[in-house]
Amino acid sequence: MKETISLIIDNKKILATDGENLLKIAREQGIDIPGLCFHEKLSPTGACRLCSVKTNKAKGLSMACSISVSEGLEVITLDEEIVENRRQTLLHLLTEHNPDFDDTYLDEFRSLFKQYEINPEKEKNFINSGISFKKEDNSSPVLTYDSSKCIRCFRCIKACTEIQGKNILSFADRGTESYIVAGTGIWDESECDGCGECIQLCPTGAIVEKPHRKEIQLSKIDKLVKTTCPYCGVGCQINLHIQNGKILRSNGYENCSPNYGRLCVKGRFGYDFVHSPERLTNPLIKKDGVFVKASWDEALTLIAATFSKIINQYGNEAMAGYSSAKCTNEDNYIFQKFIRLVFGTNNMDYCTRLCHASTVTAMIKSFNSGAASNSIEDFENTDCLFVTGNNIIETHPITATYVKRGAAKGMKIIVCDPKWTPLVKFADVWLQARIGTDVALLNGIIHIILKENLIDKEFIETRVDGGLSAVEPLRKICEQYTPEYTEKITGVPKNLIQKAAITFAKAKTAMIATGMGMSQQKTGTHNVFSLINMCLITGKIGKELCGINPPRGQNNVQGATDVGVSPLFFPGYIPVSNLANREILAKEWKVPVEKISDKPGLSTIEIVQAAYDGKIKGLFIMGENPLVTDPNLNHTKDAFKKLEFIVVQDIFMTETALEADVVLPASSFAEKDGTFVNSDRRVLRVRKAVEMPGEAREDWRIIMDIAKYMNVPIGKYVNASEIFEEIARVTPIMRGISHERLDQQGIQWPCPDYNHPGTPTLFLDEFPTENGKAKIIAVDHIEPDEQASEEYPIILNSGRILNQYHSATMSRKNDVLNAYGNESYIILHPEDANKQGFTENEKVKVFNQRGSLETKLYISEQVNKGEAFMPWHFGESLVNNLTRDSFDPFSKIAPFKLSAIRIESMNIGKDNKDKISGNGQNI
Amino acid sequence: MNKQHTIISPFLKHEDGDNISSYIESGGFQGLKSALMLSPSKIIDLITESGLRGRGGAGFPTGVKWKYASQPRSEIKYVICNADEGEPGTFKDKLIMEKAPYLFIEGMVIAAYAIGASKGYIYIRGEYSKSISAIQKAISEMYNHGLLGESIAGNSFVFDLEIMLGAGSYLCGEELTLIESLEGKRGYPRIKPPFPAEKGLFLKPTLVNNVETLANVPFIIQSGPDAYRKFGTEKSAGTKLFCISGDVEKPGCFEASLGISLRELIYDFAGGIKNNGTPGAFLTGGAAGTFIPPSLIDIRMDYDTLQMNNATLGSGAIIVLDNTKSIYNFLGSILRFFKHESCGKCVPCRIGCYNLLKIWEQCKDHPECYPDLEKEAAYIAKTSLCPLGQSPILSIKSALHHFKHSI
Repeated sequence: MKETISLIIDNKKILATDGENLLKIAREQGIDIPGLCFHEKLSPTGACRLCSVKTNKAKGLSMACSISVSEGLEVITLDEEIVENRRQTLLHLLTEHNPDFDDTYLDEFRSLFKQYEINPEKEKNFINSGISFKKEDNSSPVLTYDSSKCIRCFRCIKACTEIQGKNILSFADRGTESYIVAGTGIWDESECDGCGECIQLCPTGAIVEKPHRKEIQLSKIDKLVKTTCPYCGVGCQINLHIQNGKILRSNGYENCSPNYGRLCVKGRFGYDFVHSPERLTNPLIKKDGVFVKASWDEALTLIAATFSKIINQYGNEAMAGYSSAKCTNEDNYIFQKFIRLVFGTNNMDYCTRLCHASTVTAMIKSFNSGAASNSIEDFENTDCLFVTGNNIIETHPITATYVKRGAAKGMKIIVCDPKWTPLVKFADVWLQARIGTDVALLNGIIHIILKENLIDKEFIETRVDGGLSAVEPLRKICEQYTPEYTEKITGVPKNLIQKAAITFAKAKTAMIATGMGMSQQKTGTHNVFSLINMCLITGKIGKELCGINPPRGQNNVQGATDVGVSPLFFPGYIPVSNLANREILAKEWKVPVEKISDKPGLSTIEIVQAAYDGKIKGLFIMGENPLVTDPNLNHTKDAFKKLEFIVVQDIFMTETALEADVVLPASSFAEKDGTFVNSDRRVLRVRKAVEMPGEAREDWRIIMDIAKYMNVPIGKYVNASEIFEEIARVTPIMRGISHERLDQQGIQWPCPDYNHPGTPTLFLDEFPTENGKAKIIAVDHIEPDEQASEEYPIILNSGRILNQYHSATMSRKNDVLNAYGNESYIILHPEDANKQGFTENEKVKVFNQRGSLETKLYISEQVNKGEAFMPWHFGESLVNNLTRDSFDPFSKIAPFKLSAIRIESMNIGKDNKDKISGNGQNI
Repeated sequence: MNKQHTIISPFLKHEDGDNISSYIESGGFQGLKSALMLSPSKIIDLITESGLRGRGGAGFPTGVKWKYASQPRSEIKYVICNADEGEPGTFKDKLIMEKAPYLFIEGMVIAAYAIGASKGYIYIRGEYSKSISAIQKAISEMYNHGLLGESIAGNSFVFDLEIMLGAGSYLCGEELTLIESLEGKRGYPRIKPPFPAEKGLFLKPTLVNNVETLANVPFIIQSGPDAYRKFGTEKSAGTKLFCISGDVEKPGCFEASLGISLRELIYDFAGGIKNNGTPGAFLTGGAAGTFIPPSLIDIRMDYDTLQMNNATLGSGAIIVLDNTKSIYNFLGSILRFFKHESCGKCVPCRIGCYNLLKIWEQCKDHPECYPDLEKEAAYIAKTSLCPLGQSPILSIKSALHHFKHSI
């Protein structure tokens, strides 16, 4: 703990932490010291020399940005000499700075002219200084660089290096002729992935964002709206710039968790879909196979009548609902209330079933809690990070910035993935296990930990159910997983397994990030049991900077289950069978307790199966696109055809909406108030920024309307805030949260009362199990039930890329995101490619007994021999035509990551220079 | 040559670098052997008592630097030998490295032992190919003889040494810039403090010493501080390698006690002004140095006397101009040099060095602009980030002071 010291600035006594930066302290005190190279997020640079001050510790002038304060420091920030010196420096800068200004960026330099009495036209300036040096780079899809505006402050370089961990920018040339280059010289050919951190930190408009530059005028911005990014589960806080009712810019919101101003390319440039001309603007009713515009009254009347008819004819269990992790907690809460009270069933689910269901199942068995145990910020400060089946740099780019910053400080990183991911560049060990062999690999690691006696005995004794004796069954199973045996199953060299085991076990603190690669397998639940076992025997959970974390894929995948969209749980993870809770709900919902079903409902894939079997007849879908995201799509399509009535409410005419009987126009994230819950259980505000297009309505209001037309009252709410109040009343983990409390910062649940600050790390004192202890559940490796065969010799893995998102409904409506990659491909190992005589970029047909698709072939050692990888975003090459619906028996998740396939040439060779992945990695 | 007081020179007699056996024969490694029998703090005391000051240009007391670096801040520490000799007119380190590589490496090993470092780097000017091969050979011989690596000379002390090549930047001779470069980054100066002794290479405590400084160390350890103090003056102890170039009969590198007069150096060592000419000016300390007029030819060449006369000893370079040479043109060369070498990181130096050259051009026909030249240089010196920006003022001010009418 650093001590507090006192210093004097301009005769005023100030208390500060020893060693803190003087310029930062002074600015916090409201003392106006200029400084263009300084940014509080960056290490001090000392380049612009504008923050000159005088101190009692040095002769002459010192630079405030370069002083670490200490006891007794006395500072003068303003006198005649200081002002003259700063003025001189500004005049010097003026000679190399082109003063043209177009009101599309914040100009910190220009804002100093008036204060220091500088008339840029009168003084010796850029035009007649002789320095007038200009170099431009317009090649990037997201930004332009103009060296004549550049004051060489290093902020963009440091933004790229220190904040985002990308190390792409640097100076070329020297002195007055130096200029910024990306990579080896051309922005678009560099590894730049368009996050725009450099744009946000540029103080002079040398780097300005390209999209909407012709429209945006900062002086004409009507309002700035702070809200939560609608893409992945990091929950970045964004600052939307609204001009004439349109979003023209999205900046990272500074000084606010979890992202502190950082964004990725999607958060900064992925908002154009909101104003897409393809947005749904009217209710549509399918008549003779064609959608016809309808009034709300017409559509709602039809829906109410048909839903009621099906319920009357087939009973409540003939109904089901798919909700959406893209919608707010308020939308989802109303959705589950509607399904439970109006449909009278628990048949509801959403994408979480296809995502982390197995992770949650395993974690609930062991800890009785399925959420991430740590905060996103912890990813920077733990000593060792074990990232498995999680392409964190592309799928959770801002969490990954913390990881990269940690790596720069010496954090050990173990990557476990059958496919190369960009994090491998930062890793100490990469375990490239064959697909489907994770339990064997982890048992091999546990074998070494047990053998080397690197277990945490005290932790096991005090925190694990059964104490040290609970380790014995695990020891018995892992006995046979010698490094040699494990290498044989997984293909990972034994020395790497050894290194990973010892690195993880010996680290003082360690965290696990586990992704779809682990969960979307037939043995998904077992995979996570193994991870938990590794955690428990080494005591790497239940302490600060230790724990297991499933970074959530969707913006609100966490929240939707938190507020009760689940066939098994009411809001707050209370089982549907819990009578006491049903009574509480019945009182809150003003219905007899019998009205609330205690029968566990059907999950995602079970709903499809039941539809196929003719048991489900009516389906209500809010914002979900199962005809792209579900496994074994041909089967799913057949099931949908058997449904009598499908209603879809969405913002676009998705693949699923096309199959609906009625389509209702809903609202995007930018058009409504509410909350999302991010990956680290942080409840974050969503705020209305623009109006909905046409006759579109907020999702929760549409659901209320349907209930009203069906004559089933499900409550009265004026706004989303009121809905949240009800959520808080029935959801113990969120009881202390309200929209009001979330105004400045998010709050991490559990937050049991209004005075509770929220919980950054779970399980610090005990696990929320009956006896407070965690369970070791030893599991053995099971051979995958689908194997490569002569007919289908390649095992296909699927995943995401940085610049596209899930079924791409939103992301592909943004030209900027598409510029970084908008085409399906399959990656195959060179040896396998040679066997079939394939060439790079060749068009290929990929198929198996379930379906087929066409795509383009990339040849790369990113994948193991005998394995292949495809991104699954692209509707024209539906990867899920090939996947299976043979699910993990414990969690009912589908094994998206393992499908035996065959690849055949379509023999139309085509040269294309598109990048292999979102960040241009092409190894 | 009788006035040449020598500590280093006896080791410079070999033409093609030394070999380890002849170095040992001539008494080499005795300093190291004595040092390893002493406690690190005793060694630092000896260096402090000797009065040795940094020979790279700044003249900072070496013992103080070592003591600061020896404080137990970290288990990992580094010693760096600054062999990036780049000051115009300076070529002394080159001679030591080519002809007596063992001498300064011995000093470096002693330094490492004294501060508790187990890893060292020699950051050497990339163009010094002959020096590089001599050092490479010396390092490998020393490893073979158990004088580098594990258990040096049979002790538990471990020290590994590597060579890193500079890539032609003058600024990389500045110690913090050198450290940036050594870390694999572009050579930009760092904010100071923290000083290298606190947070240097990879943010670990680091001692940076010049080649010549280290070459003095074995003698001090072996013969004691008193023997060393017999050379030089009270505050400028020991000898110095002076590099005399320009309009002299016998340009070269000469070792002499600090405090020797400029006249002795020019006339007794360098054979006087070329073609019996008349001296016009002396530039001491290289481009980052000062002009001395012929009227001060009897000045004592030690740190303090020069400083009192607003001049600098710097690296020991003395560039001699006879009275036919133009001070104006020579100043222009210096200013062109600084514009070219300014790294561009800080505003005053990047733009100021450009301005200096522009103003200098104007001065040719408009001598009334000279005050502007000095004003600009003073602004740069006051505001710049690293010592480079503090350098142009030295030559400008001394030229204008001593040659107001003749420039």
